[in-house]
Amino acid sequence: MMAAQPLNPPPPPEWVVRMNTPMPRPPKDAANIPNPPGFAKKAGGKHLAQQSSTTAAPTKPEDTDTLKLKKAWEIALAPSKQIPMNAIMMYMSGNSLQIFSIMMVFMLFKGPIQGLINTNAVFTKFETEGTRGKLLGVKAIYVVMQLVLLCLGIWKVNAMGLLPTTRSDWLAWESERQPLEPAYFAFG
Amino acid sequence: MWLQATLLLLASCVPSTSAIYIDEVGHIDYHHALLGLPTSQSTFFLKPSASSNASLLYTLSEGSLLGAVNPKDGSLVWRQNLSRSALPVDPSSASGLLRASEGTNALVGALGDYVSSWTALDGKLIWENWFADEAIADLELLELEDASTAPSAKDTVALFTGKAGVVRRLDGISGDIKWEYKDESGDVPLQLSSSSTEVFYIALQASARKGYRIRVVSLNPLTGLPTQQQVLSSENEVSDPKSVAFVGANTAAPVIVWSDPAYKTLKVNIIGTKKIFSFDIENTSGESIQSITVHTPKKLESLPHYLVHYETGSTTWAEVYHVDLRSSVISKAYELPRLQGWSVFSTSNKDANVYFTRITESETTVFSSASHGILGRWPHQSAPLQEAVHAVSEVVTKGDTVAVRSAATLVSGDWQLIRGGHVEWTRYEALTGALAASWVETDGTEELVHQLEVEGHESIYKAYSHRVKRHAKDLQHLPEWLKDLPKRIVTSILTDEVSNLDSFGLSKPVIVAAKNGRVYALDAGNHGSVSWAVKAAEKDTWDVKAIVAQPGSATIYADDGSSVTLDVTTGEILARSPGTTTKIRSVAVINDGSAPITIGIQEDGTPVEALDLPGFFVTQSNDGRVLGWVAKDNKTPIWQFLPPHGEKIVYATARPAHDPVASIGKVLGDRSVLYKYLNPNLALITTVGENTATFYLLDAVSGRILHTSVQEGVDTTQPIASTISENWFAYSFYADITSSSPSKGYQLVISELYESPFPNDRGPLDSATNYSSLTFLPSPHIISQGFVIPEPISHMTVTQTRQGITTRNLLCSLPSTNAIIAIPRPVLDPRRPVDRDPTSIEAEEGLFRYNPYLEFEGRWYLTHSRNVAGIKKVLSSPTLLESTSLIFAFGGDIFATRATPSQAFDVLGKGFSKLQLVLTVLALSAGVAVLAPMVRRKQINAIWKASA
Repeated sequence: MMAAQPLNPPPPPEWVVRMNTPMPRPPKDAANIPNPPGFAKKAGGKHLAQQSSTTAAPTKPEDTDTLKLKKAWEIALAPSKQIPMNAIMMYMSGNSLQIFSIMMVFMLFKGPIQGLINTNAVFTKFETEGTRGKLLGVKAIYVVMQLVLLCLGIWKVNAMGLLPTTRSDWLAWESERQPLEPAYFAFG
Repeated sequence: MWLQATLLLLASCVPSTSAIYIDEVGHIDYHHALLGLPTSQSTFFLKPSASSNASLLYTLSEGSLLGAVNPKDGSLVWRQNLSRSALPVDPSSASGLLRASEGTNALVGALGDYVSSWTALDGKLIWENWFADEAIADLELLELEDASTAPSAKDTVALFTGKAGVVRRLDGISGDIKWEYKDESGDVPLQLSSSSTEVFYIALQASARKGYRIRVVSLNPLTGLPTQQQVLSSENEVSDPKSVAFVGANTAAPVIVWSDPAYKTLKVNIIGTKKIFSFDIENTSGESIQSITVHTPKKLESLPHYLVHYETGSTTWAEVYHVDLRSSVISKAYELPRLQGWSVFSTSNKDANVYFTRITESETTVFSSASHGILGRWPHQSAPLQEAVHAVSEVVTKGDTVAVRSAATLVSGDWQLIRGGHVEWTRYEALTGALAASWVETDGTEELVHQLEVEGHESIYKAYSHRVKRHAKDLQHLPEWLKDLPKRIVTSILTDEVSNLDSFGLSKPVIVAAKNGRVYALDAGNHGSVSWAVKAAEKDTWDVKAIVAQPGSATIYADDGSSVTLDVTTGEILARSPGTTTKIRSVAVINDGSAPITIGIQEDGTPVEALDLPGFFVTQSNDGRVLGWVAKDNKTPIWQFLPPHGEKIVYATARPAHDPVASIGKVLGDRSVLYKYLNPNLALITTVGENTATFYLLDAVSGRILHTSVQEGVDTTQPIASTISENWFAYSFYADITSSSPSKGYQLVISELYESPFPNDRGPLDSATNYSSLTFLPSPHIISQGFVIPEPISHMTVTQTRQGITTRNLLCSLPSTNAIIAIPRPVLDPRRPVDRDPTSIEAEEGLFRYNPYLEFEGRWYLTHSRNVAGIKKVLSSPTLLESTSLIFAFGGDIFATRATPSQAFDVLGKGFSKLQLVLTVLALSAGVAVLAPMVRRKQINAIWKASA
């Protein structure tokens, strides 16, 4: 490549140029060209109808807000759908310390924590002037749901005996009582 | 703390029992199979089988052990303990007798009332017989060949003393009595002798005025009837049975030799004749003769030549006498020159020829009995030889040349085989019945420990600078270390055995104090070979009370209050303190500071002196009391423990001085904690009554009895052993069926002490950091469980590790199977569920169903196939490796091994192949080296292709 630079490369042939350049946009009036007779538009109608509805939305900001809120609720409640599945998985995986159960517990912690960190990021796209106040409640529910998942993880970790909740976990910090009087034995 | 916790976790993960693998035998353990000092009368070379020319060395030792030793390497072929079968006899008078006859595979041994015959090749019992209330005085094998005996077995004639002298002929195959001759005259039975045609019974007849006359009764060997009787007038010379120097055995012309007390004349009589030959003893040394010993050949067909060995204080010589069989005349043939220093003589036969071997400190010489010419002379390579007491020899002739090997018993208690001037092997028989032993540290490792201790006590910055300085100083060893490095790497890769762990204190030398006042150092790194031996006592015997080891030296305390300090690398005596008039019963060792302080305890239990130290002494007195003393006051004890009337203290023990506890509680299956009752001042005292054994648990500071356990129906003549460690104690005894206990047999009871019966409860003192036994001492909650065990336990102790993280093993010596076993503590858990399977929580804790019968599993045996006999005491010592505990057993044999109760979790196992690891790394590097350029080329090509 470097060696080729000093030489003035010959201009590429025309077919190369044509191949590399994208197709020119079809002219505006091309849309007006009628379809050939017998060509049936199948999905087109629905698509058009939808398009027409979305395109119609910006005209009504209240509608958009309710829609956004609806969407936000969906996202906020999504973790609750995971709870039963996770609970069953955790129950099934047993309390022994194995690579699979450890990995599953790790994933169980990773998801909610990441979710909690990204709380605001998740809801930014639904945030408008109108929805800001209502979104607070949604966010709270979202956080609660994540915390429920987290609790599930903590319950699991506790069941695995990894939480220092029992007396034996603090045994190493307790020290032996020392006698004040040493005795020296000479039984022979 | 974390380290401990991690190690604890590790230790609990691995199985708690481990066995000894075959490739560890002889590597981690060593064993001195000892016989005891050979006796002069009962030691000989013998060919055990007629077909083979190889002979073994047989002895019946002073310790009543009958054994055969391979003369090639000094290894023990077999041994039997005769004192086990004989009724207990007074050990001072009990001298066994051992006789054998060439060509028969049978030995006959006798001890006290017990006569037994053993196969010579492998030591199997042929027959045995007991003669109650009688003691053996002499034993002969009948060499005569008559129709009534099978040629393979020779009959025995034995002389017993008791109420009257009894001569018995015992059958060679069954040991039954063939005939019996009773001497009711009241004479002192002396000895037996036999010729080819007659059996002679020799007794001493008290003469009217003084002394004894020798009476010889000839007996018919077939019927036992007396045929004739002779009385020799010896009353002027013989004043007691010891005055008779010799009664000839099994030669064609047996003789009686005696002498007057001043050793002026030597009287000789051919047994069966009347005539007494008298020879003047020519003593030109100017010193008085101390002893006369007569050496004769032991075979029937050998020439009737005798050697008389004279000994004065500093010189020795010998005379050889011949008996003319036809004329029955004894004449002096020649004299062996008088030499300065000691010498020992021995006789050996080759067909009819008789050879005398003389061993002196500088050479071994062999003479023929016929003439005084020296047949062979071998100067000793390692002259001067240590003084010998007696010796046996075997002479081999080939044409005109002779070869000789002699087994000499030395004054030091060693048994040496000398061949051609070389010492072929040495058996340290004085180690039998060793009194005390201790591991010692040579200087090197201890310096580091000291430095680390300094660092531990400094402030963090000072410690850091100290450490930097220490490492800087260590740099001077770097060149040597680098020089050694290739060798170390190569050896560690090539040898698959667990490489050198000496730096972890696994092969610490042991010093052993023997009864005869000698101290031996055993090199654990070299199969327990003796690295040095010194005579440390000034007297012939001593009783060692304690050995206190310090870096580089060891101090031995004897019962007379004296002490000797030895250098542990050379055995040099560094210091000696004289004894006192008061006898010492035991020694208290206070090992708190840098140098241990020792205090002698008198026989009445009083400390010899008062010490200005806080603390208490606990002592035992000879009259059966346990006493507690304040260290400052040795006048009056603060408490004393007197067992109830009818009971006497048989044993008292306390927790070992080094007994670290890794965890102060026991974690249960539900993760609650049962707190251990930990008191370092506990003493366990065993008392026995008529048929009870009581175990008292005492607090040694206040003298309070914390717990009493009474066992009924106990056979107090059987061994009762006990030990205490951590928060538990164990004891074993033999009990019969009583009204309260339905079990009969040997029992092992284990009791664990807890602060409270409830989990998570630390008792009344709760989390107090210290406590005083004098103000308030809570009582322990005790959980006990008993097991029936298959055999008695004579001694118990516990394995010790550095931090106590490793599970403990209960070490028991088993006298009936000559073994030492290590019973894992989890097996002995008293909380094992009884009559039901464990719940899941209990199973998680490691408890399994209780089984009253505790069978000793094969893998518990530390001694595996070895026969470790007569063990009196087992010691255990921690090493720098937490997993490993050193074990040393002594008292009879010497046995040492390593125990890893939780397996060697901190050492790479033998299965770990360093070579494989290195090869894998090399192969991977080679692969990378080959693939790297290929991949690089491919990547560059890819870029070319993309851009083109």
